[in-house]
Amino acid sequence: MAHQAHPYHMVDPSPWPLTGAIAALLMTSGLATWFHFQSTVLMTLGTALLLLTMYQWWRDIIREGTFQGHHTPPVQKGLRFGMILFITSEVFFFLGFFWAFYHASLAPTPELGGCWPPTGVSTLDPFEVPLLNTAVLLASGVTVTWAHHSIMEGERKQAVHSLGLTILLGFYFTFLQGLEYYEAPFTIADGVYGSTFFVATGFHGLHVIIGSTFLAVCLYRQVRYHFTSEHHFGFEAAAWYWHFVDVVWLFLYISIYWWGS
Amino acid sequence: MYRQLMGLQQLSRRTFASSARRQIENTVKEKQKLFQEDNGLPIHLKGGSKDALLYRATITLTVFGAAYVVYELFSAAMPKKT
Repeated sequence: MAHQAHPYHMVDPSPWPLTGAIAALLMTSGLATWFHFQSTVLMTLGTALLLLTMYQWWRDIIREGTFQGHHTPPVQKGLRFGMILFITSEVFFFLGFFWAFYHASLAPTPELGGCWPPTGVSTLDPFEVPLLNTAVLLASGVTVTWAHHSIMEGERKQAVHSLGLTILLGFYFTFLQGLEYYEAPFTIADGVYGSTFFVATGFHGLHVIIGSTFLAVCLYRQVRYHFTSEHHFGFEAAAWYWHFVDVVWLFLYISIYWWGS
Repeated sequence: MYRQLMGLQQLSRRTFASSARRQIENTVKEKQKLFQEDNGLPIHLKGGSKDALLYRATITLTVFGAAYVVYELFSAAMPKKT
């Protein structure tokens, strides 16, 4: 076996970057063909390829870390750095939508009636379901921290319970948001109010679903003994992502739901 | 006699334990052995035949998809005359 003179993990050659790139190509051109030619074949194909790529790529990372032992402390440091950089990029993604909201709402144009909320828009009461949603996500932040401590202390049953509870709270949030979307008296087509509301909260909701999925994978791994009390970075990454989702909601709630109402 | 009694106690404990809790077995050690086997297989195929099947399906979709998108883009760039 060749000896490496550095602490980094050189992975086996993998087809997943290529399949992922083709999936992205198919999804984007599929979007265009759907808009112009009413055909969803390309987009569906692209989505299927994306799901296959994600499943196999992350399955391989779990194999490399948990079953082959490649995630040594220096390698883990790199993984941590990577996750932090990714979450930072997501912060900037949301920053853009907040910029759009404040641009529109701090200086409302005459077309809106020169006021915010715009004339004719009946906003959602921030002290009803949105407040409940805030409580749900804050509670889920507590339960995910409970799960982390349980894992570190080797308390398997408690870890499963608290992680499961976190995921249920995530689903509850998504369910409640779905109801709100259905009952809302305005739509995405209702001027800049509708656009900023649904694009910002919509992307947030997507991130809640992604975060819940990530946590669910961690639950599966926890049940199958993948995590040890010293080494459980997959879970930590999921918990970081979940806290990020929670914080974005707090900004959304204060800016759009509360101040913007 | 005492040893037999102790044996019976142990046996009954084992039986109750396996029926009282439906435990998921810890198969990490077996997985570690499987994925550390020196067989030259890359990580995405090292799990066995299920890996190869999934890989082949994914590559088929990739190749077909790439060809199809090029066809669609060419046909979109050259609109059919009525």
